[in-house]
Amino acid sequence: MSVLSGIARRVGRRLLSSIPALLGVVVVTFVLMRVLPGDPAVFFASGPSAGKEEIEQIRHQMGLDRPIPIQLARYLADVATGNLGHSLTTGQPVTQDMERRLPASLELTFTALVIALLLSVPLGVAAALRPGSPVDHAVRMLCTLGVCVPTFVSGLLLIYVFYYLLGWAPDPTARLDIFASTPPDITGFYLVDFAMTGDWSGWWAAFTQLLLPAISMALFVLAPLARMTRASMLAVLGSDFIRTAQSVGLSRRRVVITYALRNALLPVLTITGIVFSTMLGANVLVEKVFSWPGVASYALDALLASDYAPVQAFVLLMATIFVLVNVLIDVLYGIADPRVSIE
Amino acid sequence: MKINRRSVLQGAAGATWLASWPQLAFGQSRAETLRYVTGNTINTLDTTMPGATRESFGLSMNVYDRLFSFGRKKFGEYWTFDPTVIRGELAKGYTMSPDGLKVTIHLRPDATWHDGTPVTAEDIKWSLDRMVLAKSLAPPQMSTGSITSADQFRIVDPQTLEMTLPKPDRLGLSNLCVCYAIMINSKLAKQHATADDPWAQEWLKTNTAASGAYIIESYKAGESVILRRNEKWVGSADGKLPDFKRIILQTVPEPATRANLIERGDADLSIDLAASDMPTMEQSSKAKVASIPQNNGFTHITMNTTMKPFDNVKVRQAVAAALPYDDMFKAAIFGRGAKLYDGSWKGTPTSSGFPQAMPFKTDVAKAKALLAEAGMPNGFNTTFAISAGQAATAEPMAALVKEALGKVGIQVDIQKKPDAEFNTMESDKKLPFYTDGATAWLPATYYYFYLYFTRDQRWNFASWKNTDIEDLSADARFQTDAAKYETECKKMIEIFAEQVPLVLLWQPNQDAVMAKSIDGYTYQFYRQADFRDLKRV
Repeated sequence: MSVLSGIARRVGRRLLSSIPALLGVVVVTFVLMRVLPGDPAVFFASGPSAGKEEIEQIRHQMGLDRPIPIQLARYLADVATGNLGHSLTTGQPVTQDMERRLPASLELTFTALVIALLLSVPLGVAAALRPGSPVDHAVRMLCTLGVCVPTFVSGLLLIYVFYYLLGWAPDPTARLDIFASTPPDITGFYLVDFAMTGDWSGWWAAFTQLLLPAISMALFVLAPLARMTRASMLAVLGSDFIRTAQSVGLSRRRVVITYALRNALLPVLTITGIVFSTMLGANVLVEKVFSWPGVASYALDALLASDYAPVQAFVLLMATIFVLVNVLIDVLYGIADPRVSIE
Repeated sequence: MKINRRSVLQGAAGATWLASWPQLAFGQSRAETLRYVTGNTINTLDTTMPGATRESFGLSMNVYDRLFSFGRKKFGEYWTFDPTVIRGELAKGYTMSPDGLKVTIHLRPDATWHDGTPVTAEDIKWSLDRMVLAKSLAPPQMSTGSITSADQFRIVDPQTLEMTLPKPDRLGLSNLCVCYAIMINSKLAKQHATADDPWAQEWLKTNTAASGAYIIESYKAGESVILRRNEKWVGSADGKLPDFKRIILQTVPEPATRANLIERGDADLSIDLAASDMPTMEQSSKAKVASIPQNNGFTHITMNTTMKPFDNVKVRQAVAAALPYDDMFKAAIFGRGAKLYDGSWKGTPTSSGFPQAMPFKTDVAKAKALLAEAGMPNGFNTTFAISAGQAATAEPMAALVKEALGKVGIQVDIQKKPDAEFNTMESDKKLPFYTDGATAWLPATYYYFYLYFTRDQRWNFASWKNTDIEDLSADARFQTDAAKYETECKKMIEIFAEQVPLVLLWQPNQDAVMAKSIDGYTYQFYRQADFRDLKRV
């Protein structure tokens, strides 16, 4: 009970202390977008007959004809009431766009993360058990390769091989074959929605569609995860309690998995949190290559068009997710290692 | 992990299972469905809204009807639009009074809206009024046809309307064919109008009240649109329904992916593939390329005539003589287009059409002599701006410009700018020397000059002010004497070629890549695919 209330107190405090940071992020993005050269009104009034008057009209519609401090105050008030503005690139309210696109990004990121963890932890452990061996070098090479090849290159390669040459994968456009019907909108996660309605052929279609983009993302983050696992495994394997465990004759499996790996996972957990947040924001290239309707490609399109509202909302969203993930990791950390909770 | 025969076989079995999947999802109607992939997005269903993308125009042409439509003519085995022919679309036809001031519009008695209600004269009047009264991009466009007030439209009887023009404007009727002139089901739209929004603009952004060939089945902004054929459509040229029952428009941002989809036969049509992919596509066994020059546009290099040293006509002529036309044509667009240089005429042009090939050729000696005449024998320094969005063609061009002008002593600094910044600076007239493209929906010679070479406004790229051009274009607009109009147009082209406010380069081709089975592709003035003309053979 006291453990739980301790965690709750810490979470509450962490969330409170993150409010100034979020506010700062909102203000900085807001100002930055307006300092950047390029007038969205000119960009969007690009019809064959759009003259000065039309540009002024859009500027007025967007509130850009007012001084920046007033624009900022109005924006903050809007954000506080949950109104993130209107996107000119899609013509929809930003909140509506985000609601539809965030699950797509999250589903992709989660899957990629799971694939990355499933690959990197065993690889890291294998490398740590025989440091300097060919296995270790092979893992190192794989990791380096994963980091070196940009995601859009690996993505295009995967498409070329598995879709174009072999024809194994479905066409790399969006979350589901365009001729198939989408699941009822329950959570927005296609895999979950299909599973909930028991439509397993739909589930399989969504899953195969998800596989290639998730793999190209997973390859990219393989390195930090595998390297961190290897390093912390090495440190743990060299410590006294492992030697003791070995000397009392415990099975190798028990020593490695139960004692060493569990203790070595703490830093991996931390890095997983960071990797997740980065992936969510940085998967724009994967989203572009696979026509994945996610938030990152949405924000990039908006940025290129100087469409303020979606970019600001995207940065705010990323900051919020970053805060939440960090809090979550903190909580997990406290559970895994009780010493962290002592104040 | 050990790799042995068993694990390899298991992997292969899994892969086969994976491979067997995608075919299942194709329905029996695949042959009757056209899948169109594009890198752009549709951001509004009402084309008159500021910010409407070109893709939105294309969709609207298929979903809405206009009163009239341009004809089309053969271009090789494909088609291109013909603005000299105007036929009825939602209207059955028109009669023009001899003085060109009164257009009588005859409606079709059997036309219906998508909801099944009949098209009435009141609906048409409301739609025409909306075009000139609602705050949107339509009024400035309509004003180019002398359509400025709701009083110009009058209901004569339930099947007839009348449009009066203050002057015999040669583009009055043509303006009723453009993307902004959509005809709207007023009864439906009015239900969603509010006191602040009497023209239901907010509602029509995401909903339609149309009568066109296709009905929107689903619309996911920024992702896809699915259309189904309107079985009651009466607006076609030959009275037949379009061939395709279903159209899927999908946004696929990566050009390589779009190319893959077409080559695999999973998609049927795309008009925005990378130019570098064209040679492969032309060799492909599954795809074919319709290469049609964008005959209502031009790519240009502009010199700001209000900025030093380009305010000196000799400098502009020198640059026009120094540019490496052929090299640019090959490097930038791989020779895929129509040249607007290398014209064989001198003095007065032989044709009154515009854009046409100008008598410009690379002549370094002439360029040097002109620079010396301008008092700058050693050249000068300047910047050449390109926008990031056009980098694929503009970047190689810029490099060649820099090299060629360097030979005559003009030192060029290339500046690549993000699109929004480039557009802003262009609109504010802050770029001295840059390249861009332009198209006109209504390709009449006087209209190009009026739109691009007169007045202090955004599209006067070179900020060119020439009183002769102003007078000639103003007179040509209302000129009813055909011979006199010809002479005036030729005169304007002559002045343009001599004064060189901007250098015309070429008309890039529109490369529409489609499955071998698709036929009937037409290049349209709004530069998008018209699904109504396409069929599978």
